[in-house]
Amino acid sequence: MLPRLSSPPNRTRIQQAVSQFFSNYGMLLVLLLLCTYYAVVTLEEQNPRGADAAEALLDDLTARVPAGGTVLIATKANEEDRVFAAALAEGLRAAGYTPAGPVEGTPQDLRQALEAVAAQGRPIAAIATTRDNAAIVRNLQRQVTSLAETPVLTPASYRWPTFLRADNIRNVANQIVVIAIIAVGMTMVIITAGIDLSVGSLIALSAVVAAYLIQAMGGTEAGTGAMLLASAAAILLCGLVGLFSGFVITRFRVPPFIATLGVMQIASGLAYIISEGKSISAIPDGYVWLGRGADLFSLPNAVVLMILIYAGAHVLMTRTTLGRYIYAVGGNEEAARLSGIRVHAVLVFVYVVAGLLAGLGGIVQASQLKSGAPTYGLMYELYVIAAVVIGGTSLFGGEGKILGTLIGAFIIAVIQNGMNLTGVESYTQKVVLGFVILGAVLLDMLKKRGLR
Amino acid sequence: MPTFASRGILLLLPFLLLACGGSGGDRPAATTDRPVIGVSVLTLTHAFFQDLTAALEAEADAHGFDVVITACEFDIARQKNQVSDFVVRQVDAIVLAPCDSRAIGTSILEANAAGIPVFTTDIAALSEGIDVVTHVATDNYEGGRLAARAILDAIGGSGQIAIIDHPEVESVIMRTNGFFDELEARSAPVEVVARLPGGGVKDRAFRVAEDILQAHPDLDAIFAINDDTALGAVAAIEKAGRAGTVRVVGFDGTLEARRAIRDGQIFADVIQHPDRIGRETVQAIVRYMNGEPVEDEILIAPSLYTQQDALADPLLQESE
Amino acid sequence: MDGIEKSFPGVKALKGVRLTLHAGEVLAVVGENGAGKSTLIKTLAGVHRPDAGTMMLDGQPVSFASPHEAQQAGIAVIYQEFNLVPALSARENIFLGHERARFGVPDRRAERAEAQRLFERMKVQIDPDAPVRSLSVAQQQVVEIAKALSLGARLLVMDEPTATLTPGEVDRLLAIIRDLQRDGIGIIYISHRLEEVFAVADRVMVMRDGEHIDTLPRQGLDRERLIEMMVGRSLEQEFPKARHAIGAPRLEVRGLTRRGVVEDVSLTLRRGEVLGLTGLVGAGRTELARLLFGADPADAGEIRLDGRPLALRSPRDAIAAGISLLTEDRKAQGLVLMLSARENFALPNLSHWSRRGFIRQQVERARFAHYIESLKIKLSHQDQTVRNLSGGNQQKVLIARWLEANADVVIFDEPTRGIDVGAKYEIYLLINELAAAGKAILMISSELPEVLGMSDRILVMHEGRISGEITDVAHATQEQILALAVGREDKAEKVEG
Repeated sequence: MLPRLSSPPNRTRIQQAVSQFFSNYGMLLVLLLLCTYYAVVTLEEQNPRGADAAEALLDDLTARVPAGGTVLIATKANEEDRVFAAALAEGLRAAGYTPAGPVEGTPQDLRQALEAVAAQGRPIAAIATTRDNAAIVRNLQRQVTSLAETPVLTPASYRWPTFLRADNIRNVANQIVVIAIIAVGMTMVIITAGIDLSVGSLIALSAVVAAYLIQAMGGTEAGTGAMLLASAAAILLCGLVGLFSGFVITRFRVPPFIATLGVMQIASGLAYIISEGKSISAIPDGYVWLGRGADLFSLPNAVVLMILIYAGAHVLMTRTTLGRYIYAVGGNEEAARLSGIRVHAVLVFVYVVAGLLAGLGGIVQASQLKSGAPTYGLMYELYVIAAVVIGGTSLFGGEGKILGTLIGAFIIAVIQNGMNLTGVESYTQKVVLGFVILGAVLLDMLKKRGLR
Repeated sequence: MPTFASRGILLLLPFLLLACGGSGGDRPAATTDRPVIGVSVLTLTHAFFQDLTAALEAEADAHGFDVVITACEFDIARQKNQVSDFVVRQVDAIVLAPCDSRAIGTSILEANAAGIPVFTTDIAALSEGIDVVTHVATDNYEGGRLAARAILDAIGGSGQIAIIDHPEVESVIMRTNGFFDELEARSAPVEVVARLPGGGVKDRAFRVAEDILQAHPDLDAIFAINDDTALGAVAAIEKAGRAGTVRVVGFDGTLEARRAIRDGQIFADVIQHPDRIGRETVQAIVRYMNGEPVEDEILIAPSLYTQQDALADPLLQESE
Repeated sequence: MDGIEKSFPGVKALKGVRLTLHAGEVLAVVGENGAGKSTLIKTLAGVHRPDAGTMMLDGQPVSFASPHEAQQAGIAVIYQEFNLVPALSARENIFLGHERARFGVPDRRAERAEAQRLFERMKVQIDPDAPVRSLSVAQQQVVEIAKALSLGARLLVMDEPTATLTPGEVDRLLAIIRDLQRDGIGIIYISHRLEEVFAVADRVMVMRDGEHIDTLPRQGLDRERLIEMMVGRSLEQEFPKARHAIGAPRLEVRGLTRRGVVEDVSLTLRRGEVLGLTGLVGAGRTELARLLFGADPADAGEIRLDGRPLALRSPRDAIAAGISLLTEDRKAQGLVLMLSARENFALPNLSHWSRRGFIRQQVERARFAHYIESLKIKLSHQDQTVRNLSGGNQQKVLIARWLEANADVVIFDEPTRGIDVGAKYEIYLLINELAAAGKAILMISSELPEVLGMSDRILVMHEGRISGEITDVAHATQEQILALAVGREDKAEKVEG
């Protein structure tokens, strides 16, 4: 009955909208600033690759090598270098040079190729290679006397943040995808004022069960149907484990922390029993489609899956009755019950979703690693909870946003990736991550105090 | 209106950014012209890998390489991420001690696809279709045989023995294989009464050893698949008051284990030479870069280390 | 106190408030929620520091930097939420922070004797060694007062002291206040309940919107005038009871029992009827309501709705059957505080505007807008967090919720608790409207004037049973109800209409 003194009546809608945005997605700002920071500190010389590299090299080459000379192209054995070599050879021919090679492969292959060229006695005007390979080529040419003085030409480098390279961004997304998927279920659980500690173990259980079933259904020869079946069975099993947690929590009123702590041990133990403590890797190559493939606009399939799950969960939480009920149950269980909401059904639902998504996370992990082992997912529950908390979901329940969790997951991923890129060692990384989690919680509290 | 929330964010930011940059000063820049070796080992909490990486770093420096050392600390997904980051940074060679001999396969394929040579140390990668230049490791099979001989020595040729295992790791499987083959070859009258996993870490090994001791009052010896396991077993034996009746043979030869051997707590160790593994790995990389042939496997012979060796060990005298 | 002003970010909570209190005087402070009463107390108690104005105590200017300093000066405040440690005994609570110690060790005997003396002075019997947890609310209040007295308080401020007391306990408290007054202690008494104000105050101070409206002696002040001053406009009467035709029985209850709380309750509730249900705290009224709503399982008995038997396994069943319950404790059982007003309104009604589980938000907004208009709910926008609404508006959101649920039987449990006079009046009008629309209404209330003023018929509970029924409400008195409530059936006459 105390008057609400600090909710000033003269606040305008716009101001309210701004502060609303801050309170909902303030962490987005943090994420953007982190990205900017890492973009700046990883600004360094980049080696051009593929056709661009060939183009960059041609200008330089025509200026330095007399026309008509023979240019030996030597590269590493990978797809981009092959493109580079082909484009360069074509360009050289067009410019009136004679491209030799291209030779590609390991230093040993290159050495043999250089020796063969030297043995032919053809005059070589220059050796063209990528910047990645330059050190090796320069080293090798010293050992082949007739080529020792031949200039080695490479494309000029350019400056660009390593952090912002497309393959690194893809890396960041790939590295967080398992945690991000599971964090969706965890967000729902935490919004109901619960917690699910079993998700880490469920990753292992799901990966092991899927791998085990695939092994049983033909191992490396297993067909697509068998892989799908095995994965679906593993995910369903994890859903059942979630159902069990939900049942224990609602039926016997065991606190979620304790119930899922027990389930965490059970699931982990089962994973060890099924796999006999070893990793199971008799899995067809095709199994990596989910974890390593990239079929849609070169977006990794797992990232596409993650985006779909977030979109679905966002709609569920904001547009459906079930989503509304989840918030209500977490905010005030008794009021929800007295409003006719089947509180127990809602609670069981979120634990089942958490289980299913943890199972799916385990499948993604198994697919990325093409094997299943009981050691997967160790301590992941903590990263998942951290993502949810950093994303602004209150551990007291009733409040939280699915998209906030996505931001939280990416903050963790960006910090880890950024620290890897800048060479921060792994122990320091732990300390930093710990501070970030504390900072997020602190922010949450400041926010609450500020808004009341 | 600046809410508390926005003000809070602004207050926290400089702190966050400072923290995230960490010790940015000593980062091995990919911008120098020195070639870079990316290393990801199982853990840096074991003396074995500390010795290995230290020797590797020194040797690499001598040959003009920069080294980035990371550890996955038993999390294979983390190792996968570390390899991905090495690929993005376009390191010139990757050295791995895989957390999981099979699950590392997809990561090695990723490096292969980028044309980055992969070397494994200590723990082999066993997936199919992967391209590893060479594997540098202790001859673990031979080490297992040495351990079996030492145990037979310790118990006078017959009795009950237990093994504290860690079967997730390929090198350990080799050790136990060698161990059993040697016992069989000698048709020794020993009974293996227990074989339980101890995770290769001290605290779990301690608990496992306690259980084994409880269950087998006539136990004569324990084969511990590494030194942390051995030290855990020693602690359990002493707690049970059975020092002197239950002997322990360990593996690795870390400083702590050497002291325990000098003091008679551990009967003997099969010692590996992690420093040699580190050096040989770099030498293999150098040969590879020079276009010279590199053999598929480089095995470093282990040796047996007993109390006599410990008493004469200069390492122990210096450190006391 | 003179010209006290206090501002908070965005609002001026006190504007030039003037207050004088003589020794041995009871000053009642009245005003609607948000009038600034609580801020005034907190300023007196040293919790807030005034931005302007002066405070004089015994002719000396004072200013308190902390509640402790105010306490030292002899000002004690008894808040609605007691400052007691439940696990400690009454004695330990009384002397917490100023133990009667000998050689650093609390002297239990001395403390016990002093506590006993304080209790006797207030003519109550409390075991000084009983843990506070085990005491009733009224007893805990006495412990609070004893604590203030043991500190040598000369000025006692009581904030809504009777909000959770039963009528008998209120009488005892008022007696204690008169005793303290005779001992020369000045008392500032803050209450919504005007009958208490008239019963105990020497002078009445009215506040509105942080301003001091007037301070008047009780003599010559009438109720209507006071209410007008509080709300700033005139109300025709406090209880706008409307009479209309009462129809067929809607809800029939036979032998309803939940062991230990509700025993063999039978009642009939008719269309268009407002059935008042009262009794002392703990008589089982709320528990009965929960049984009728399916919130707790019954051990025995039968509930019929329009003649058909009802099996209520959960509130869900009750809502489906057309029964709704406006709970006594808004915050604990009614609202989800962190959700918006609209979401709270919608909670049991989502099926009205959802298709295949998807909420049609435009319909939801439109429905809520309708109720905001018709119930005059004051909020800045539909998505305002319900926590930030005043008690009256929170209650209106809940009423809107149950109106939308279109229940035939509406149970109101303490519908006006903690709500200011103006909003109360609107809720009474609403109850009338519902009755006029043929709904059956069960109104649980501890406020006897309200029960008498609004009901068509009154049931009184005592120790889980219906102890009496009053059908001729117009001629019933509070004393009759009280007699039934304390279980003196022998003395109570059953008034037949």
